[in-house]
Amino acid sequence: MALTVAVVLCLASGFLLVCLSFSRQRPLSSDLLLKMSLSVGFGLGIFSVVYFLSLLLGVTRLILVDFTVFTLFVVCFLLFRTSGTSFIRATRNNAEPAPRSHSLLATAFVVSLCAAVYTAIIRTLAYPHGDGWDAFSIWNLHARFLFLGGSHWRDGFSPLIPWSHPDYPLLLPAAIAHFWSFVGHDTPVVPGIIGLLFSFSTVGLLFSALSILRGRTSAMLGATVLLATPAFIELGTSQYADVPLSFFVLATVALLCLHESRVQEDSSPNSSGLLALAGLAAGCAAWTKNEGLLFLCTILLARLLTLIRTGPPSLTTIARQFAPMLVTIVPALLLIAYFKRSIAPPGDLFSDGTTALHKLTDPARYWAIARWYGKSFLRFGHWLVIPGTLLLVAFYFAAGKTVRKRDLNQAELGLRASILALGLTLAGYFAVYLITPYDIYWHLRFSLPRLFLQLWPSAIFVFFLSLAEDNSGTPTSGADAAGRCL
Amino acid sequence: MIDSRRTVVFAVFSFCCLLSSARLVRDAPAPGRFKASEIALRSDQRFAALKAALPSRGVIGYIGEPGNSGLADYYLAQYALAPLVLDRSSNHALVIGNFSASSSSQASSHDFHLRRDFGNGLLLFASEGAK
Repeated sequence: MALTVAVVLCLASGFLLVCLSFSRQRPLSSDLLLKMSLSVGFGLGIFSVVYFLSLLLGVTRLILVDFTVFTLFVVCFLLFRTSGTSFIRATRNNAEPAPRSHSLLATAFVVSLCAAVYTAIIRTLAYPHGDGWDAFSIWNLHARFLFLGGSHWRDGFSPLIPWSHPDYPLLLPAAIAHFWSFVGHDTPVVPGIIGLLFSFSTVGLLFSALSILRGRTSAMLGATVLLATPAFIELGTSQYADVPLSFFVLATVALLCLHESRVQEDSSPNSSGLLALAGLAAGCAAWTKNEGLLFLCTILLARLLTLIRTGPPSLTTIARQFAPMLVTIVPALLLIAYFKRSIAPPGDLFSDGTTALHKLTDPARYWAIARWYGKSFLRFGHWLVIPGTLLLVAFYFAAGKTVRKRDLNQAELGLRASILALGLTLAGYFAVYLITPYDIYWHLRFSLPRLFLQLWPSAIFVFFLSLAEDNSGTPTSGADAAGRCL
Repeated sequence: MIDSRRTVVFAVFSFCCLLSSARLVRDAPAPGRFKASEIALRSDQRFAALKAALPSRGVIGYIGEPGNSGLADYYLAQYALAPLVLDRSSNHALVIGNFSASSSSQASSHDFHLRRDFGNGLLLFASEGAK
């Protein structure tokens, strides 16, 4: 019963937060899958922050805090829900009769969904404490310290336990501990369910965002690729933080693109709610893992660079593009800064500046990392026979000239910025490997496939989003274009 | 013509995806034949009796297999005994020894007073001289 109340409060708070950012002209039930998928991540983000602040302030009546937060969201929803004259377009091809090829794709999508759901549930039952080192030595360990530590919860971030990465932020551990406080004990059911929720809400988010922006065909293509990535489902049910991070990266990218779509349609700048939500998603990414902090910086930089590339932006333009994002990013950064400065010990990667500089000048390290990048590009998903990355490349060429001719619209700031941000994030990972204090091959072997997976849902999203455009310039399914040109 | 070619592209695409979905299902544990969780066996269950004999908070020492080979055991012990902090050092008033059952005699080489042997290589030492 207590767990049910907690789940309802978590998801309802997330749902209200998401709906606050969407137009009031549309019914609440519109784009329900998108909103529900986003609600999972944002609800858990809210639960995490509420728990952490309650610990800091010594608040013990957590349920009262949760109800207060929920009530605040209800009030805000009633008073401040974003107004707007229109919303994201419904795509044309949703209403088109499904030809045989679409039925085939729909069948593949349903089969891969069933396979993923089956495997995810079986793995969650078989590995109740997660599958792998990070689950028990980092995320669930930190959750236990937060939940069981009482007034000594900070002990969990002691440098005496260095391999538990005490500098990692707390979205996942604090959310787990929050639910444990409702249940009354540290049951492994909670991290297991959170892993399942993040995995499938990422799929739901990818499907729904592509469906809105490009139509059902692209949505099914994209979601099928993700569902058929074995490592994604395996990692999602291993109780690691990489899939939650991939969710927030995708949420940021998708919300920025939805914002652009709305601005293009509407010619109205009044979609700041989506920008604010995108900023919050980036903030949650940074509160999930240190790599999320890198992504937050790259998405802001990429947006600025993309804006400048379209012509010298006025201060008003910059303010309109960045202010709503910063409204949500700044509090997240303040929270992370407080955690890093007051609670966590220094991280392990940037401890020795002189040695790091020396490593930067070693060409052998560049070559080693480049080779691993190339190798992991084909291997990271644990696919059978055909790597998913190669499959997308092959699909691109099979789609033919129409697709390749497509040039991104100048106004597609969100998509351009997202592609650039993902590229910059990969470059950032590269730089971190250059200066890593650990054995470079050991570090690459145990982390690079997971780093690629963090960006994989977003890469699939931008791939299918940037793939095709019909003759009238209206974005439509890449596969439709593929069919036309074939 | 276009539709049939599109069907071929989608069929190949779907087939490639379903191959990997098949791997996902094939590699999943067989339902109904789950082994007991290795993490639970090596952490919560192994340390249950010892946990009751330890203070609930603070820092105690930990000795076990040296080097990286003993790292997993150390973290499984830490996971089981949280929110107690285990310092991988013997410089504490209370020190736990975590060895495999066959190698628990290694512990005799340490200068500690054995307070209790929990069996299966799990020992609790007291060291009066430590800080």
